[in-house]
Amino acid sequence: MIAFVAFSLRRAWQGFWRNGLMSLAATASMVLMLVMLSGLVILLSGLDATLKYVESEVEVVAYLKDSATPQDVSLLQADLKAMPQVASVTYVSKEQALADFQTRQPDVANLVNALPNNPLPASFQIGLRDAGGYIDVATFLRSQSPVDTVQDIKKTVSQMISVISVLRTGGIAVLAIVGLTVLFIIVNTIRLAVVARAEEIEIMRLVGASDAFIRWPFIFEGALVGLLGAAITIGLLILVQARLAGLLSDFFEVLPVQASAMVGQNVALIVLGTGVGIGVLGSYLSVRSYLRR
Amino acid sequence: MSSASPGSTTGTPRRPEAARSRPTDLATDGLPTLALRGVTKTYPNGKAALREVNLTVPEGDFVFLVGPSGAGKSTLIRLVIREELATKGKVILEGRDLARLKRREIPRIRRRIGIVFQDFKLLPNKSVRDNVAFALEVTGTPRSRIGPAVDRVLRVVGLSAQADQRPGELSGGEQQRTAIARALVHDPRLFIADEPTGNLDPQISWEIIQLLLRINEMGVTVLMATHNAEVVTALRKRVIGLEDGRVVRDEMGAAYHRED
Repeated sequence: MIAFVAFSLRRAWQGFWRNGLMSLAATASMVLMLVMLSGLVILLSGLDATLKYVESEVEVVAYLKDSATPQDVSLLQADLKAMPQVASVTYVSKEQALADFQTRQPDVANLVNALPNNPLPASFQIGLRDAGGYIDVATFLRSQSPVDTVQDIKKTVSQMISVISVLRTGGIAVLAIVGLTVLFIIVNTIRLAVVARAEEIEIMRLVGASDAFIRWPFIFEGALVGLLGAAITIGLLILVQARLAGLLSDFFEVLPVQASAMVGQNVALIVLGTGVGIGVLGSYLSVRSYLRR
Repeated sequence: MSSASPGSTTGTPRRPEAARSRPTDLATDGLPTLALRGVTKTYPNGKAALREVNLTVPEGDFVFLVGPSGAGKSTLIRLVIREELATKGKVILEGRDLARLKRREIPRIRRRIGIVFQDFKLLPNKSVRDNVAFALEVTGTPRSRIGPAVDRVLRVVGLSAQADQRPGELSGGEQQRTAIARALVHDPRLFIADEPTGNLDPQISWEIIQLLLRINEMGVTVLMATHNAEVVTALRKRVIGLEDGRVVRDEMGAAYHRED
């Protein structure tokens, strides 16, 4: 077993270097694909983080009528908590609202004290699981008698959310298309590398090599192409990292998101896994057509 | 039906049981190395390459397979090495019906067959020694056994001195001898030569034939497909003639062309 693995690794290594041009072509297309992939992944994770942040900031505020009884309020609160779209419900009493107002606007605090009664309404601040639930929750609230008004979500925020959602869905679609296209190219490049050695495979079959002895060296060779491609890609990413980080922090400046920590390690892992995976898959598919007879 | 006619240039000592056997005899003398029973091969395009072929090759036999191009010689060889399956009938190698082999048994049965071709099929970037060793490496032979085995077959084919040269540095005859060494390294019971002298000049061709006769003397059954009329006629061995996918003659001690 160890001898077999050693044999396969040795043959893979020899095969890679003896067919330099084909190996180079396969590795180059691998690098191109991985660079594209990591670019998309970085962009997507940026969009994702932005969307998450924006969504986390979206809440529905419902102002309650002064006539609402404590029972009405607690019933409504229970109903809200039962809704699947709702993440959290905070009740802000009239007194709390006034206190909040006074801390926010200390200049006019005395003015408020001069008023005969507290003009501020009690309210619910409702956190949503995702921004898409906004319409359902708002509609529900408007139908409830204790509710006076429902504060409209800001138009821009809602537009931003829908734009980012489209971008994210689109990005995943683009990623899938690009991924499939390049997978096809790489499988074909590796196939060419295997075809270039059809005679070697034929000889192996004629002298009675088992399928495993024919297949595994090629699979290891594919893994080697993937590994090398991934290493070069990660190297390139590290080289442009400084500039990239600058770009990202500009992009995320408006948002309190930790850009670099989120991106680096994940991308490296994705690049490595995809490279080796596609290399192995490509070799497997290419050799299979020679073995299935 | 004598085993060797007066014109034979060989002194091949046939084993007694092989000498007694008739081409179509069934196993009266132990298991034949190779037997085809009503073998028909039709390709998917409808072309029938072999039709109802029956033949028995006893152990230790030396058989020439002759016939015009497209007569079915190559198809017959591809069936024997289980590269293809017969459409109808049975191909039996050392008692095993090739159609009933499991996938993983195919490589093992191929190691019982040594095969060489007109175009040698050597790996150009490996030395003679490494080309021969390759056959052992890819079949999982322990490294300690590879060196001695390779040295032995290189001595048999007379290439010990050229062991470190690459095929490109060798003559055609030496390349074919390298291929023969590689085919011998698994100690095959059946040796198939598909037009082994097709690319070689007459002098070199004779050297290759002498080598095949020596291999046959060592007890290995030899099946040689050829167009080389001079060699076939001179040796007076068993000749199986194929035409249009049928066996049209099967004669002991025969010439390349029919003599009656």
